[in-house]
Amino acid sequence: MPRIAMRLGRLALVLLCVALVSFGLMMLSPIDQVDAYLGPQVAQVSPEQRALIAERWGFDAPPAVQFGHWLRQLASGGLGWSHVYNQPVSEVIGQRFQRSIVLLAGAWLVSALLGFALGVMAGAKEGSPLDKMISTYAYLTASTPAFWLAMLAVLLFSVTLGWAPTCCAGPAGMLDQDVTLATRLHHLVLPVATLALLGIANITLHTRTRMLALMRSDIAIHAFAQGAGRFDVAWRHGLRHASLPAVTLAFASLGELFGGSILIEQVFAYPGLGQATVAAGLRSDIPLLLGIALFTALFVSIGNLVADTLYGVIDPRLTTGGS
Amino acid sequence: MTKATRPILLGIALSCLAAISTAQAKDQLILAIGGEPEQGFDPLLGWGQYGNPLFQSTLLSRDQDFTPQPELATKWSLSEDRLTWTLTLRGDARFADGTPVTANDVAYTFNTAAKAGGRADLSALAEATAIDEQTVTLRLHAPRITFIDQLLTLGIVPHAERENGYSEQYGRHPLGSGPYQLVEWQEGEQLIVERNPYFYGPTPDFERLVFLFTGEDATLSAANAGQVDIAAIPPALAANVPTSMQRVIMESVDNRGILFPMQPANGEHAASGAPIGNDVTADPAIRQAINLAVDRDTLVEVALHGFGRPAFGPADGLPWSSDEERIDAPNLAQAKGILDAAGWELHDDGLRYKEDLPARFRLTYPSSDTTRQLLAEVSAEMVRPLGIEMQPTGRHWDDIQRHALHQDAILFGFGSHSPQEVYYLFHSQHAGNGYYNSGFYINSAVDAHLDAAQAAPSSEQANRHWQAAQWDGTTGYGLRGDTSWAWLVNLEHVYFADTCLDVGELGVAPHGHGWPITANLLEWRWVCD
Repeated sequence: MPRIAMRLGRLALVLLCVALVSFGLMMLSPIDQVDAYLGPQVAQVSPEQRALIAERWGFDAPPAVQFGHWLRQLASGGLGWSHVYNQPVSEVIGQRFQRSIVLLAGAWLVSALLGFALGVMAGAKEGSPLDKMISTYAYLTASTPAFWLAMLAVLLFSVTLGWAPTCCAGPAGMLDQDVTLATRLHHLVLPVATLALLGIANITLHTRTRMLALMRSDIAIHAFAQGAGRFDVAWRHGLRHASLPAVTLAFASLGELFGGSILIEQVFAYPGLGQATVAAGLRSDIPLLLGIALFTALFVSIGNLVADTLYGVIDPRLTTGGS
Repeated sequence: MTKATRPILLGIALSCLAAISTAQAKDQLILAIGGEPEQGFDPLLGWGQYGNPLFQSTLLSRDQDFTPQPELATKWSLSEDRLTWTLTLRGDARFADGTPVTANDVAYTFNTAAKAGGRADLSALAEATAIDEQTVTLRLHAPRITFIDQLLTLGIVPHAERENGYSEQYGRHPLGSGPYQLVEWQEGEQLIVERNPYFYGPTPDFERLVFLFTGEDATLSAANAGQVDIAAIPPALAANVPTSMQRVIMESVDNRGILFPMQPANGEHAASGAPIGNDVTADPAIRQAINLAVDRDTLVEVALHGFGRPAFGPADGLPWSSDEERIDAPNLAQAKGILDAAGWELHDDGLRYKEDLPARFRLTYPSSDTTRQLLAEVSAEMVRPLGIEMQPTGRHWDDIQRHALHQDAILFGFGSHSPQEVYYLFHSQHAGNGYYNSGFYINSAVDAHLDAAQAAPSSEQANRHWQAAQWDGTTGYGLRGDTSWAWLVNLEHVYFADTCLDVGELGVAPHGHGWPITANLLEWRWVCD
């Protein structure tokens, strides 16, 4: 129990630090909040109206007061009001995350499972044509920027071939309730595939290295001597062994995945949390940006917590050593 | 495996079918012209200031010549002291729920918008009062003819105290008396609207409109894939028109020009801490020579990919700007003559000097804007043969405000559907007030014309005073007078539209590409079967 309490205390501290740093960065940002609010209409309003805008949305208060106000709201359970969307921050995040979670979960699952499988295969058959193909592919995608790949994918599959839609989470002109599951998936395929493709490489390469080590170990030699084949050894002895780095990476990469989804959402015009993050940053919506930062930090921390717990399940030695 | 793929394939096939059938019937028009208002469709916070408010109707509307036309109001007048507007509403206007629009709703809309702290600027309004069911008066703090802009752009919302009235959620559930009503808004993605059966005006040609809120790249991809009927396209990407689409050009007063600091540097600083004044640009000879030397047609070709026209003032082609302000072709000889006469001597280093002062100053542009960077660099090359060195300098807006705004020449973009902008840019009252009149231009004759315009009995009569501020025969802010700016180009906004879509006669767009094209939405027709 005290371990859980310590964990929770540490989590609270991390979240507070994230909030403080994000707020500090926003204050250092050179964006004038009233200008950002007005957008293209920046040169259309009178000085009196500018003052009214600053008063209504709380832009005129000094930074410390703004942060204090936000902390008080947080203490009473609210995340504040987003001026970009004129909506409570919790609603903005809730609505957008519903869309993002499908994209993130899809990409995460695909990259973890496929990455692991490819890594095991490549590692089991070191030096074979299969290994070379997988490694080359992994090195290539590991060094490819996500948004560039996404743009190429749109050009090829949506514009030239016409297989996938060019944008959005549903077809143009179709009401939300009328969109079938199949159509939703059709709109998800390309963004998920692009986002997953990048996570795969990392996991594949690490799993492969771990597999190579195992294949050269005494355990493997012993098994070979008893007549076992390479895939046999990989399956019986290697899987559990090689899954530790894969689990670590899969959960640790949640943050990266989140960052990648911001870019992917921009390219595919997919209306998730990524778009809201960009809007909040560019238009100086402090409560919204802080809310998203906290939410993301929480998301990633929980991911790490899950990974920590899974270590014990996969390799019991880690738990006995810990307690 | 087959079990899982079957519904997916079916879904794909069905969505293809759906796409084909909509392309034939054409009750539905798909637009990708941006302009999503993240705050929702709330006129009190600024929705509808540009283009068509779609869900709401306004008291008056503009025709092609910017003359006010009846809309919700059938009669309107401005009192002798120019402080009170009295408007009579039409009797047949109804909100989309079937209830009538009354003077009460109009008064509520104006009074609430004045306090809302959004993008709709009603700071000039003292109070709006409903006299009876169909008559409303709007009382101002001071004479201000440009208040008519709010009669033209502010959409009327239902009074909070009635059923379905205005509330905090109005932006996401708009109710108005405009041509369309909201069906669904998928935020960040698309807006679906259908005809309002109670609309008092002519029935729009399209039963249903879909606005896609895609970014530039996704919009272009969608246009190339034939999935949209009209799309806003950045000029740099407008060269290759997709098959079955055509290029539609909308003229604009979305302009770019060089603002000159008008005062000599005397050590003074603005409230922001930025130093005021520049000894070189304070000399009218320098400003006139630059205006004569820049080749605006070439600037249009180089910086705007040919999608633009030369600019000579802040509102070219609008009724409050004079058509006579223009320079037909660059004239370097005349420019050199002006500089010689003013005492700027050409030295061996190729630069002109007046006593010890070199003709050199910074031309600052916001570093994120590549069009302005091109304009700055190319126009600097054009004035170099004169012996004037403009040094193109990219800075962030914040840096511009704190250091450059009042001492450097600045590459600005303006352009509005209201002459109020002219007032902000050239009245001495706004000298040093943020981006307005940041060159500290001060001319009491111009101030008098601008004030006379605000006190005029109608916007038509005000136009004569606005024009006089530009040039009244002896002085003015324009090219023939104080030459306070070197206006360079007016942008053209480029759209790809289906060859079957007739968008009628487009007006002149303000600053901002996209939504303004909807201004004449009700005239759009589908010309194929």
